[in-house]
Amino acid sequence: MNVNIELYASLMKYLPPGKHRFRREIRVDDGITLNQLIRQYHISDAEAHLVLVNGHFVNCGEPRDQRVLVEGDTVSIWPPVAGG
Amino acid sequence: MNQSDKDRYARQIRLPAIGESGQQSILDATALIIGVGGLGSPAAMYLAAGGIGKLVLCDYDVVESSNLQRQIIHADDAVGDDKVESGKRTLTALNPDCQVETIGYQLEGSELVEAVRAADIVLDCSDNFPTRFEVNRACVDTATPLVSGAAIRLEGQIMNYQPAAGSACYQCLYPRAFGAEESCELEGVLGPVVGVIGTMQAVQTLLLLAGQGEEMVNRLLLFDALAMQWQGVTLPKNPNCPACGGDRQAR
Ligand SMILES: [Zn+2]
Repeated sequence: MNVNIELYASLMKYLPPGKHRFRREIRVDDGITLNQLIRQYHISDAEAHLVLVNGHFVNCGEPRDQRVLVEGDTVSIWPPVAGG
Repeated sequence: MNQSDKDRYARQIRLPAIGESGQQSILDATALIIGVGGLGSPAAMYLAAGGIGKLVLCDYDVVESSNLQRQIIHADDAVGDDKVESGKRTLTALNPDCQVETIGYQLEGSELVEAVRAADIVLDCSDNFPTRFEVNRACVDTATPLVSGAAIRLEGQIMNYQPAAGSACYQCLYPRAFGAEESCELEGVLGPVVGVIGTMQAVQTLLLLAGQGEEMVNRLLLFDALAMQWQGVTLPKNPNCPACGGDRQAR
């Protein structure tokens, strides 16, 4: 199935080759969970700070292990920011 | 509010969301600003210009030339001065009616809690996670509203904590043992990006003081300058949050 992945800011470096600055449509196995997708892209837990599925925040830990993605989902990931 | 106040703040009093009663709340308010750097500069300047009654500036740092690219409250001749004193000079020149108190060292423990309690609202304009978590905890413990901004590189985030609305707090976003370290010194930051976030903190603060916080409850805004994207996210309260959640006793 196909899902969309959006990696923002310093996470853009993990995007597979493609044209768009921060978004890719990618092919994944049916039944893949959110955390499996995050690991597949080698994004560490510390970097995957804000994870959204279709614009809704999914908390770290179990909620991300349990969230099974479906065709057409958009996963957006933002890194942590503390500077000022 | 006297006639000169009515003239000075006429453009924002004219806004239905502010009005005379909102402006009066702003004139009567005290805001505590933690950090007088890239975020605190525009935040403090817009609050002073907008007529806030009192600003308490807290920062232990001294102005360096590498700060000037983004910390616009500090002028070239302020290099070497305490940031809080330099900030006070700029704010007093902007608006002599704004009372400015300075704390030139890091607030911690019970002193931080008391400073937070004495404020109507707190702006977290600091640059590291430990300070951010401690300021958030003091706001939760004293039920004081908090407007928290952060920026680095070309990206920023802003959220606010509204205790009266039972909103999520800053720590709701983070697991218990969170310790990512990064700094603008190592990573770099574009001046106006941190300015956008600090300015947004002033926007939220003025609206919250005027009683217009409803649309901002549990909202987190993310900004990516390269992608030219703002993303608004609904931030659910975390029941296991170490600061505001059910197991806060265990912290
Ligand atoms: Zn919380």
